[in-house]
Amino acid sequence: MRRLSFGGLGVAAVVVALVLPYLVNGYLMYVIDIAVIFMLLALGLCLSLGIAGQINLGQVAFFGVGAYASAIFTVKLGWNFWPAAVLAVVVAVLAGLLIGIPALRVQSHYLGIVTLGLALAFTALVGNLSIAGQAEGLLGLPVPPLGGVDLSSHYLYYYLEVVALALFAPFAYFVVFTRFGRRLRAMRDDSLAAASTGVEVPLARMASFALAGFFGGIAGVLYAGLVRYVSPPSFNIDTMFLLLAMVIIGGRFSLTGTLVGVIALTVVREELSDYASVAQFVYGGLIVLMVVFAPTGLAGAPRRIRQLLSRGTTAAAGGTGPFVPAAAGRQTVTADHPALEVEQLSKRFRGLTALDSVSVRVEAGEIHGIVGPNGSGKTTLFNTVSGIYTCNGGRVRLFGSDVTDAKAYRLSHLGVARTFQNLRLFGRLTVRDNILVALDRSRIWWSWRYILWPVGVWRGERELRRRAQDLLVEYGLEAVADSVPGELPYGTQRRVEIARAMAASPRLLLLDEPAAGLNQQETNQLAEIARSVRDQGTTVILIEHNMSLVMSLCDRVTVLANGTVIADDVPEVVANDPEVIRAYLGGSRELDPAITPAAIADEAAEQKAVR
Amino acid sequence: MQVFLQTFIGGLSLGAIYALVAMGFSIVYRTMGLVNFAHGSVVMVGAYIASTFYLTVALPFAVAMVVAVVVTALVGLIIEGVLRPLETKDVDLMLIGTIGFGIVLNAAVIVIWGATGRAVPTPGFSRPLNLGGIIIRPYDLVVIAVGAVAAVAMWWFLRGTKAGTAMQAVAMDPEAATAVGIRVGRSNAIAFAIGAALAALAGGMAGPVLYVSPALSGVIGIKGFAAAILGGFGNMPGAIVGGLLFGLIDAFSAGWFHGFADVVVYLVFAVIVVVRPEGIFGEQTVSRA
Repeated sequence: MRRLSFGGLGVAAVVVALVLPYLVNGYLMYVIDIAVIFMLLALGLCLSLGIAGQINLGQVAFFGVGAYASAIFTVKLGWNFWPAAVLAVVVAVLAGLLIGIPALRVQSHYLGIVTLGLALAFTALVGNLSIAGQAEGLLGLPVPPLGGVDLSSHYLYYYLEVVALALFAPFAYFVVFTRFGRRLRAMRDDSLAAASTGVEVPLARMASFALAGFFGGIAGVLYAGLVRYVSPPSFNIDTMFLLLAMVIIGGRFSLTGTLVGVIALTVVREELSDYASVAQFVYGGLIVLMVVFAPTGLAGAPRRIRQLLSRGTTAAAGGTGPFVPAAAGRQTVTADHPALEVEQLSKRFRGLTALDSVSVRVEAGEIHGIVGPNGSGKTTLFNTVSGIYTCNGGRVRLFGSDVTDAKAYRLSHLGVARTFQNLRLFGRLTVRDNILVALDRSRIWWSWRYILWPVGVWRGERELRRRAQDLLVEYGLEAVADSVPGELPYGTQRRVEIARAMAASPRLLLLDEPAAGLNQQETNQLAEIARSVRDQGTTVILIEHNMSLVMSLCDRVTVLANGTVIADDVPEVVANDPEVIRAYLGGSRELDPAITPAAIADEAAEQKAVR
Repeated sequence: MQVFLQTFIGGLSLGAIYALVAMGFSIVYRTMGLVNFAHGSVVMVGAYIASTFYLTVALPFAVAMVVAVVVTALVGLIIEGVLRPLETKDVDLMLIGTIGFGIVLNAAVIVIWGATGRAVPTPGFSRPLNLGGIIIRPYDLVVIAVGAVAAVAMWWFLRGTKAGTAMQAVAMDPEAATAVGIRVGRSNAIAFAIGAALAALAGGMAGPVLYVSPALSGVIGIKGFAAAILGGFGNMPGAIVGGLLFGLIDAFSAGWFHGFADVVVYLVFAVIVVVRPEGIFGEQTVSRA
């Protein structure tokens, strides 16, 4: 039904696009030609800003690089338009990679202002270079030759632009809704969690700038062919902010919204064409109103309206179904090396020593518990082992190979998966997409297929979706597969995070307080999942405060206090260790026998026996 | 040597203006964790108001400055008031909102004052001083003095007054500040008003040095930001040192690179951000999982 209406809209859009020139006068045709160019340009900004979350205020420079490069190649070097166009797009992609370099170090505000500064540097540069015609710019660019078609006609040029849009806009959609774009969206929502699920964050950031440069370059080339004149003011900050307004007002997370935003602002500017400053005032004001009242832009409007209409009849909160393990029976793990060896690991934050020569050894096929009072360094240990922190000394070995200070995404590809204490799901991705991000084990260079073999991408996507469906069924998440995490109850979100971690088929699973905030039933399900995961051959390490869970579940327990290991043994021994009792209960002599670790261990043993 | 010293004094004067802009950025950033992208436009609005009251209304320069500071501070309050609903939600959205305000202010300036700029004559004693062969414009010394006074006033405000101390508390921990009864919203509003007042001071003082035009916002906004980042964003002494350093870089690169000076300045800025984003005095922060 929904798909059908989308198809209908698509057909209507194509028909309108094809007959449009027959309905408008020459001036309006030119305005529309410019609008189509801005559509391609805005798609580039949407991909970097909205999809990949990179505050890219240098998009106008990519536009300028594309236009200026084709102008210089044709006017100054006398090339034919088409080879010049191809090379100009290549140069724009390179400019994207160059302006994207700061994204490797800084994000958000800093990235915004640096890219804006580099965009200013571009206009300052071409305004002074003699090869670029300095302040006067370059005149007399050639009309693109195309058989007998006279492209100096704005009507015929329009069809050339429509062909370009029909080629490259679907490509943008294809990227966004398959694995590469999904990784970009994951990185936008939570770059830390994305890295832990295997997204090569630095490369993905650069790739998003390359995409922005690609679309900017195409727009620039088309602009050069249409206007046949380039000068610095066409690519100044005002153009950048107009472009930004188009994307924000349309909806920065949505390609369709972006296209609608370009149309909407073109109409506003034409209605107010005699009052350019008033038009600017209006769209600046619209940006402010949009971010305050409708942050998802025009693209978010249908959903908002639906929510308003169905107010009061909100659907029941999505719970989880039962956990259905995929394979029954325990696999025996035969490994030559322990799953994880941590030797003399230290981590300091300025004056504070969070980990002080910690050594832990986790055998393959174990469920290993890590307990300790708050602030004892448990999460710091996980963060150091999973590549989020770099250590200040010591060694980490994963199945025998040294992975000390390896990057989070590299560890993910080596078989480490984790969950987070405070849940780090990708907030704007559906549960299914959250899992698809982790299921995709390809490295970023796999993405050459997007350019040379899209069919391969498509087939891979079908395979990924089939496996995602199996996993959703296994973890009882089928009913909530198309919800975003924020709509789900806390316990369900915890389940999603474990499912996401397991989607990466890890050899080692790190669970950071997986039972926090769960009720008794959910905790029992968690224990069942952890055992099943172990039985399928994955080693599990969990940080947990729920002692009865730790005692009943774990094969071995390590106790941390003040950044050092104070005990490491089977649960029954650890529970009776006087130092552990002191660390937990502050050395009080008036122990309530019911809450000593030993008492809890007894209770847990009883539960085990009952089961 | 003479040329060097003259360029040096000119650079310090320019640097004092950048320091004022950078302090405006920093006071808002340290209080709310927000980079106000409209700040350059606010500086420009201040420059236009000061020049209007000085040239058109023919008030004395100092009085025109005071009017500009007060009116521009009100503009700052309006910006904060409109964006307040976003303060607890999404910093990236607020950032885009301030860009929107920048566009609005730029358009308003063109609607009110026209698209062409205006040259503001140097107020008061305009005859250059000759100190042992070094030619110094007295106005440069005035700018440096105003910058120094503003810096001392800011230091006194943050250390010595209740409102200033409350703002320090909000900067450190908004939730804890709320818990002890500090109104975070009001603190943010004060920060924005002070930021805008500093911007007006910078804009007004810049009038006779730089050309007052709609292009001023982008140039002075980015350079002031660069100054703030050079010193360590949100760090007030850092903003002053960064401003002075950046003024010197600017003045000397104009002499060495001529037309390409701006290109060089922006590239230097980009390199600084990439190499040392925490600036000279900033501290490295850790991300928590």
